[in-house]
Amino acid sequence: MAERALRKLSFPRYAEYNCALKYITEQALGCKYVMPPVLTRRTMELGAKHSPEFVCTPFKTVLGSMIEALEAGADTLLMTHGLCRLGYYGELSDQILRDLGYQFEFINLAEYDMSRKKELLRVIRRINPKVNPARCLAQFMEGLRMVEYLDEVTAEYYKGRGFDPTGGYDRAYRDFLTAMFTARGRADVEQGYRAVKSALGSIPLDKPAQPLRVGIVGEFYTVMDAFSNLEIEQKLSDMRLEVHRWMNVTNQFLHYNGQRNMHIKIADLCAYEMGPTATANIWYARECAERGFDGLIHIKSASCTPEIDVMPVLQNISTDYKIPVLYLTYDAQTSDVGLQTRLEAFYDMIAMRKKVF
Amino acid sequence: MKHSAVTVGLPRAMLYYRYRILWSVFFQELGIRTVISGPTDREILEQGSVLAIDEACLSLKIYLGHVRALVDKCDYILIPRVASLGRHRDMCTRFQALPDLVDNLFRNSGQRFLSYNVDLSAKRDEETAFLELGRALSAAPKEARRAYRTAKKAELAHHKARVQKQEQLCHQEGLKILIAAHSYLVEDPYVGRTVTDYLRSAGVIPLRADLVDRDAALKRGMELSPTCKWELSREILGGILQRRRDVDGIILLSAFPCGPDAMVNELITRRVKGVPMLNLVLDSQTGTAGVETRLESFIDIIRLKEGKL
Repeated sequence: MAERALRKLSFPRYAEYNCALKYITEQALGCKYVMPPVLTRRTMELGAKHSPEFVCTPFKTVLGSMIEALEAGADTLLMTHGLCRLGYYGELSDQILRDLGYQFEFINLAEYDMSRKKELLRVIRRINPKVNPARCLAQFMEGLRMVEYLDEVTAEYYKGRGFDPTGGYDRAYRDFLTAMFTARGRADVEQGYRAVKSALGSIPLDKPAQPLRVGIVGEFYTVMDAFSNLEIEQKLSDMRLEVHRWMNVTNQFLHYNGQRNMHIKIADLCAYEMGPTATANIWYARECAERGFDGLIHIKSASCTPEIDVMPVLQNISTDYKIPVLYLTYDAQTSDVGLQTRLEAFYDMIAMRKKVF
Repeated sequence: MKHSAVTVGLPRAMLYYRYRILWSVFFQELGIRTVISGPTDREILEQGSVLAIDEACLSLKIYLGHVRALVDKCDYILIPRVASLGRHRDMCTRFQALPDLVDNLFRNSGQRFLSYNVDLSAKRDEETAFLELGRALSAAPKEARRAYRTAKKAELAHHKARVQKQEQLCHQEGLKILIAAHSYLVEDPYVGRTVTDYLRSAGVIPLRADLVDRDAALKRGMELSPTCKWELSREILGGILQRRRDVDGIILLSAFPCGPDAMVNELITRRVKGVPMLNLVLDSQTGTAGVETRLESFIDIIRLKEGKL
């Protein structure tokens, strides 16, 4: 019998994390990874056209990206589970894609109890029955290390980028991403990481003694995905701001110290966990306020229930610490120019406050 | 029965429609007086809309209006936190955030709030939550437990009676339309009730998808949507499967922009075939005239299809 062709697996675009997904799919699971095309207006239009109107925007983006992944040759799609509406993305997008006539295998993690190791093994066996568990685990950990590096470098990049007159930051970050997207083993990952760290470290920054600092909090997908938030971190750093964002996969999942320990510091603001990322966002907003940041930006997609419910708490933090908060809601129609204007106004305001106080 | 001097306010919105018997009997058994906010009206909706973030759902706006109406009218206002009732039995995250949301919005009002926390994902069941609620009101644990059990029994009996009434309606002659909606929307006098009232006035028997045996509906709901994880949506899904053969049409009624409904109703329209379906979304701007026109044409379509027009 002829050997079965490799499974062609894909997962929708999500910030820059697809490099790690590719690595894990190819090195740990022994499948071929189909990289979905970079998100564009077309992705969004495709997704919005076939989505229910009032669903949160990431659903539309993700659906569009799934369609583009199928067009690019994927035969299997993977979708994650989740604590908010994300947990239902899988089943609904599967149904919509089937109704459109696409044929593929859908692996929906919401069908499994992912808190149990046995279930995880079932998923892995389903993806590739011939997988060697030991090798799989080792390579999976490498993939997670890539995520850690990516988050660490991205944070450093946006913190310093605004003060780099040479353009070296952009070049180093671009090269780093290329290295991660093409990595085929641990050595490639380590080399790419070392290269970007030394490049970023060697560029002399033209930074004032008291730069303007903003903290970014918000909904898990839109806050990290540059296409979805209209490259807000680029725009802010272009204005010579120091951009700080805690929310990323590393901090929220890999290094998360648990609801309990994080909640201590905000217990006076909320008695309970208000939503999947609420505790972290409230905690970080207060952290930024206490560290004397000049402003906060709250980012979410239209009709994101948990983040709408966090907003009254942020308003109270804003009052208590006298820190301005800019609330941004993104839907499929949010315009680049409109955002730019609002950011400029916000910048002018926090810059003026810094001079006055 | 001894009487405590404390009064507890119950906002007549959201989970009130699901738990009103449980709450009122529980407090009554403990000798605690309750005040319930009045039926929703324009004033309440407007007050709530001012308090709420613009994008919040209609139901939350109504809820906040009711809370506002109770401020300074009682010692405590009850704002429960119901997060999860088991695996794949979550509530919308809004019910998880509600106590803190209200607390933050009303922190300068001087009003005190009372909460209880049902979160099976953190192994906190309803009875434990009510014992703590009793403790917060300085009721003896034994008494609180007895009050809870009496109240739970009353709640279940009340629900059973309502389900039986639906069964009777099912066997009546006439055009029957099933309304798939959350109880707090369909029973609210200012929004959902206009729909049922209109249907009755047009000679239609309205049935409710959520008034079915809950355990059975939860199981059946999984047939229609295996990964649907919202308790209230699963009950409605199960209710649709149970009643679809008995009715001439289904109205998917939701509040703008209800998170779970936005997705689940889309799935229902894609998977439930062979019965006329109307997707009706109510928001604070919806006039009754617009709703009535849509209902009228929906009824006409059903009658036309059945050759009765």
